[in-house]
Amino acid sequence: MSPETDLRQPDAAAPDRAVPVLRLRDIEKVYQTKTIETVALNQVNLTVNRGEFVSIMGPSGCGKSTLLSLMGLLDEPTGGVIEVDGRAVTSYSDKELAGLRNLKIGFVFQSYHLINDLSVVDNVELPLLYRPGMGGKERRQRALAALDKVGLNARTGHFPAQLSGGQRQRVAIARALAGGPEIILADEPTGNLDSVMGEEIIDLLLELNREQGVTIVMVTHDLQQAMKTQRVIRFFDGSQVG
Amino acid sequence: MLRHLFTLIWNRKRANLLLISEIFFSFVVLFGLGTVLITAGKNFLTPRGFESAQVWRLLVRAGQGQKMPRAELDDVLRQVKALPGVQTVALTSNNLPFTFNTNNSDFVYKGRKTPFANTYDADDHYAEVLRLHLREGRWFAPADDGTHHRPVVITENMRQYLFGDEPALGKIFRYPMVVKNTKPEHEFQVVGVVDNVRMTTEFDEAIPSVWMRLLPYDTTHWETAAVLVRVAPGQGGALQEKIARTVAGVTRQWSTEVRVMEDDRLHRRRYTLVPVVGLGLMGLFLIINVALGLFGVLWYNISQRRAEIGLRRAMGATGAGIGWQFLGEMMVVTTFGVLLGGLLAAQFPLLNAFDLPTQPYLLAIAAAACAVYAITALCAWQPSRLAARIHPAVALREE
Ligand SMILES: Nc1ncnc2c1ncn2[C@@H]1O[C@H](COP(=O)(O)OP(=O)(O)O)[C@@H](O)[C@H]1O
Ligand SMILES: [Mg+2]
Repeated sequence: MSPETDLRQPDAAAPDRAVPVLRLRDIEKVYQTKTIETVALNQVNLTVNRGEFVSIMGPSGCGKSTLLSLMGLLDEPTGGVIEVDGRAVTSYSDKELAGLRNLKIGFVFQSYHLINDLSVVDNVELPLLYRPGMGGKERRQRALAALDKVGLNARTGHFPAQLSGGQRQRVAIARALAGGPEIILADEPTGNLDSVMGEEIIDLLLELNREQGVTIVMVTHDLQQAMKTQRVIRFFDGSQVG
Repeated sequence: MLRHLFTLIWNRKRANLLLISEIFFSFVVLFGLGTVLITAGKNFLTPRGFESAQVWRLLVRAGQGQKMPRAELDDVLRQVKALPGVQTVALTSNNLPFTFNTNNSDFVYKGRKTPFANTYDADDHYAEVLRLHLREGRWFAPADDGTHHRPVVITENMRQYLFGDEPALGKIFRYPMVVKNTKPEHEFQVVGVVDNVRMTTEFDEAIPSVWMRLLPYDTTHWETAAVLVRVAPGQGGALQEKIARTVAGVTRQWSTEVRVMEDDRLHRRRYTLVPVVGLGLMGLFLIINVALGLFGVLWYNISQRRAEIGLRRAMGATGAGIGWQFLGEMMVVTTFGVLLGGLLAAQFPLLNAFDLPTQPYLLAIAAAACAVYAITALCAWQPSRLAARIHPAVALREE
């Protein structure tokens, strides 16, 4: 299998034949600490279809990151059901969830979360390290292909500290792409970047969505960025408001 | 995954330097301790080459300014031997087994010098009292009275040093210093070879030894005489008193102390073991310190790497996988430390330091490596479990 075939090709450009990748039904998330109980999400219903680029907006503390951690199977909801490719993951074990995350989901974080002591290409290989049965050669090949997609093939041997913020976020995007995921979840990917670099990152994500057919859910504070995406979902205080 | 861990540790070698040097240090300490213990243990298990059970030693003293003529000494020995319960009596020099007295010298044969060997004076009954094991030839006998050179019996290792693989019986060797008018009795003729003996402590290796026959001699200048007595099993204080009375009965001014060789052995054992135990305790204390330090550093590392752990979980690592990764990292760090330590330790057998055989060194290297891996695994265990329990959602929490 060539690295390309695993990255989603445009879904025959058929918006009317929507294929749900991720569906949240009646999701509720309550954080219970010793002193207080925080309702982070309340009755959220949301479907992300293949090939979509969805942005999520809302004030700080309204539950956007919580929503992304549930979509990314990093946490379990207090109530409701999460479906990946039409199958509820409610009773999945830690191992099954880890396998699903590895295969289907790519993450991009506000502060990049690159491992400083690994070279760019080693960082990009990271998700493939957790894929059973994949050899070192194929990992390297896929990582290089992903770096090529984000325009960083000249920097594969560099270390994160030698890169600008925008370049680091590109590495993080390449890392998210390397595993050939169904969907990329990005939590304020431009939050640590100046507007020029931020714009570059958004353009890259738009391009990946348009040309490679990658499904993306992005949390952002920037309305202009959000307007460039196909759908904007607004949150307020744990609930969907539009 | 292992390659990934090596890359990670290698790239973090600066940060891991402290850990690696602590492990290196522990390895070296354990290696030293292991070498001492293994060598001592191996020697302890080697046959001693003689039997100390039911052997007593007498220190016969002539009174102040008194002489000790041969005739009277022989009379004393004869009378002691005649006591019921006494089996054999032998006259020897005062460097008795397990005591702190030693006599030693080097020797030459055909220009080849031996290392220092323990030398003992011994009469014709000595071998019988200590039950030495003859390999070749015979022990001293009255037939030696007329010999030109001084008859000696040597140990097997002494034979190797003197004559290599050649036969020993009848050969003549001497002291290394060249003295004018060397008399025939200053040269030594081998009449027998016995098994190696370990007479100093139970933990020392066999030292090459030479027994020189007490020639018909004048003992008038002696002030003390060392006598070995083999007694029948079950003899005790009553016989000891009888011996003391017998000695005093022969010549009024003479007296004797009776000591049990088994007591000497246990006393010497304690004396030798005290520093070894002390060293062991110091080593143990050091290792515990290092282990606590490791534990702390690992604990801190993991709290520093929460974001990385969250990231790895998000990328598809299971909780258990994270735990194994951290344990594995520690094993890789340990490997670096052990390799460095092993490199140092290997110099000892390679350079033949301390003239010890290679095998205890190799055993000590293996034992120290096992111990260090066990210690670090133990220290890494709890922090690794802690890492395994870190929630994957921390990846999305911005500090
Ligand atoms: N692990 C947690 N424990 C307790 N409360 C939490 C935890 N994570 C988030 N919260 C709370 O849940 C709410 C939503 O948080 P979050 O999803 O991070 O919001 P956003 O990303 O929109 O800023 C906040 O009130 C936050 O304090
Ligand atoms: Mg957030």
